[in-house]
Amino acid sequence: MLMFWVRLKRALFALFAYTWLIMTVIIALVPISYMVSAAFSPVRRLRDVPVIPRITEWSLVNFREVFTYRSTGGQLLPDYVQSFLVTGLVATVTTILVVIFSSLVGFAFTRYRIKGKKPALLFMLGLQMFPGFMGMIAIFLIFRVFGWLNNPFMLALIYVGGAIPFNTFIVRGFMRNVPKSLDEAAAIDGATNLQIMRKIIVPLAKPIMGFIAINAFMGPWMDYILPSIVMPRNETVAMWLFRMNDPATTPHEPMLFMAGAMFISVPIIIVQIKMQKYVTYGLVSGGEKG
Amino acid sequence: MDTVIRFVKKPLKLLLRLLWFVFDFLANGVIRPIHKLFFAVFKGVGDFFASIPRARRENPSSFKRGLSSLFLPGLGQLKNGQWYKGVPILAILVLFLLIEFISGNYIYAPGEIANYPAEENLYFFRDYGGIFTRGIWGFFTLGALVAGDVYRGEPIVTEDARLDWMMADNSRTLMGEGVIVLVFMAFFLAIWAFSVRDAYMTHIKLRAGMEIERFKKWIRNVWDDYFAYIIIIPGAALLVLFTLMPFLFSFMVGFTNYDAAISLRANLIEWHGLTTFREVFGAEPGFRDFFITTLGWTTFYAIVSSITVYVMGFIQAMVIESRPIVGKRVWRLILILPWAVPGMVALLVFSNIFDASDGLLNQILSRHDLLDTTRTILRFEFFPFDRFAFFDDIWLVRDRVGDIEWFTHHENANLARLIIILVNLWMGYPYFMLLITGVLGTIPSELYEAADIDGGSANQKFRFITFPWVLRATAPVIITTFTFNFNNFGVIYFFTGGGPAYPRAEVPQALIGIEPGKTDILISWIYTMAFESGDHDTYNLAAVYSIMVFVLIAFVSIYYLSRLRSFWEEDD
Repeated sequence: MLMFWVRLKRALFALFAYTWLIMTVIIALVPISYMVSAAFSPVRRLRDVPVIPRITEWSLVNFREVFTYRSTGGQLLPDYVQSFLVTGLVATVTTILVVIFSSLVGFAFTRYRIKGKKPALLFMLGLQMFPGFMGMIAIFLIFRVFGWLNNPFMLALIYVGGAIPFNTFIVRGFMRNVPKSLDEAAAIDGATNLQIMRKIIVPLAKPIMGFIAINAFMGPWMDYILPSIVMPRNETVAMWLFRMNDPATTPHEPMLFMAGAMFISVPIIIVQIKMQKYVTYGLVSGGEKG
Repeated sequence: MDTVIRFVKKPLKLLLRLLWFVFDFLANGVIRPIHKLFFAVFKGVGDFFASIPRARRENPSSFKRGLSSLFLPGLGQLKNGQWYKGVPILAILVLFLLIEFISGNYIYAPGEIANYPAEENLYFFRDYGGIFTRGIWGFFTLGALVAGDVYRGEPIVTEDARLDWMMADNSRTLMGEGVIVLVFMAFFLAIWAFSVRDAYMTHIKLRAGMEIERFKKWIRNVWDDYFAYIIIIPGAALLVLFTLMPFLFSFMVGFTNYDAAISLRANLIEWHGLTTFREVFGAEPGFRDFFITTLGWTTFYAIVSSITVYVMGFIQAMVIESRPIVGKRVWRLILILPWAVPGMVALLVFSNIFDASDGLLNQILSRHDLLDTTRTILRFEFFPFDRFAFFDDIWLVRDRVGDIEWFTHHENANLARLIIILVNLWMGYPYFMLLITGVLGTIPSELYEAADIDGGSANQKFRFITFPWVLRATAPVIITTFTFNFNNFGVIYFFTGGGPAYPRAEVPQALIGIEPGKTDILISWIYTMAFESGDHDTYNLAAVYSIMVFVLIAFVSIYYLSRLRSFWEEDD
């Protein structure tokens, strides 16, 4: 008899749990399936797009439009492709420089004695809290004075500068859990600083450097505010997406937005899902455990 | 009696705890850091000035060596016999002077000034100074002449100036260049100070019998001893150029009168001291009231959204990890999709879903004739919070036949706020689900086994084992989520764009054109105020608000850091 009640309780719980999960899954999927449906649908107005993609009526007309639309006549590449390449360049340069510079700073802050380390760390933490784009008037100005507007390389440098504080904390959080005995032993054996760095610290830090690299690479793709100010004539993907979806500008083409958004989202989603296991690095980035 | 005591005790305890928290926050988060900072600064300055007479008294000859470097940076090093230090320092000085001279018009100055009536105004550095002197002049004065003025017998123009000095001053550029120049000057002064100190210290060592190293050996020594400092340089340079300098500039804009009334080259920006701060703190009721309202909503949003994503993530993790669920990996994979979709894309899609005319939601509701039902539900007045500000008019969905204006009508403000929190929940909880799932795996099973032996119920196991463990492991992330949400620009800007707007009649005169929307959080309001208000772009107010956001967040974070012992532990 008792067994029966326990079983009933379990069955009820299972029923409840599955219902709950199915509900949340549906809610999670509706906006995504709406995007997919809009991207592949032949209709011209967002209003006519069904939530569930109609597989029988799918068409690539939106994608064709995305990959051929040129806002001015004499353009070599379609807007979207152009912005894609520009963003790719920005992301690549950012990644390379971020990995080099911020891991160097991070190593210096974990592996060596440095005067004023604590104030420097606090200072970086403080800088990070200032609403970033308030500096944009100044960045815009500096860029104009030096003629750097619309230059993807200089945009990448801003990202690099901005990424250093956060990444320093990440590297610091990671490296303090890596024992120092190895580099100390190497130093006693007479290895030079560079050798220690190349042969010991970098191999140890590879996972965290990979994490930083992927993060740095993902950043520029979805950043809108900064490029819209320093690259007014050199669109990035995020700017393209925003422009297509903005009712205040012409052309206002939400259907193209959906197609372009889907095209760019798929690789990002895949990378994010692959990155799942790094989620616990959030604990590291939150500083340190209490 | 006992029951009465128990009922009184618990809220009292909670209240005491809350009071203690507030007190602790004020003491450790606000007063202590400020005190520490001031103490450190005063002590540093005091020690420095105290050390000068002592150095003079104790090592007079070395002090002289230092003085010669003060007179001419690098000279002390040359006298010490360290040419490899002296020459580069001197070269930097020469380079500075050269840049100053080449970028200025000094050669024309004597001839032109001789012909100029002495009683007339003459801005020497403005007309003839090089990049540094002109930069400093510009920074302190923010310009002197604007279009329409007559100067040295010529009209000041805004374009096609025949002579450089006939161009109207652009205060904003002057200020920007001023900041750049000041940073470079500070760098140069630091080298100068280093040169003085180094000349002094080296001379002391020389007198003690130290040999001057050969160049190659010196290089090697520097490379070995200062390796950590050297590898920081590129990162630090970028940080200074693209983070610190913009920060300083924006900070300073808060102390000027740079608002919508300023038209560059036709008006000058002026240093305004604390006027804007005073306006925000009460002199201008509109600024204060809207700031407080927006701050209230921002804080509410940050707290509620952090809590909702955490709780939802927790529930989801527990459900997926519970015994009856099969295919845990598959469920998890589907449920993290919202997190994997780039935030901006998701928000823009949502803005299309909730669009008042074309939106998916209205489309579905109208297809199934549910618009009126929805409206009835939303207007349903069972909520007891009639006068509670955040829920005041949530149920007053506009009486209109047809589509529901989710966030375009101002009476729908709280509906829009609710939707924002729900959308944020949609985007945010999968992260916590993953995080907490990971933490759940680290709980030692012995704990549960011990609980089983003691006859603990599932409920108790959750309350005394699972929950405390997870909370402790994830506490840091909750705080970072809070600060992140406090500045979560994207959610507002891409999704509602700050709407619904305040009706014109409610906006005070001073804020016309730069008023926040009803769902604007501080950060998105600041952005639209500074960059998207067209003729009303107001930088000084935006700068003051961002300074205040900065201070608020900084206090919270410092408090949080002060509670983390590990941050303060020496780790080298």
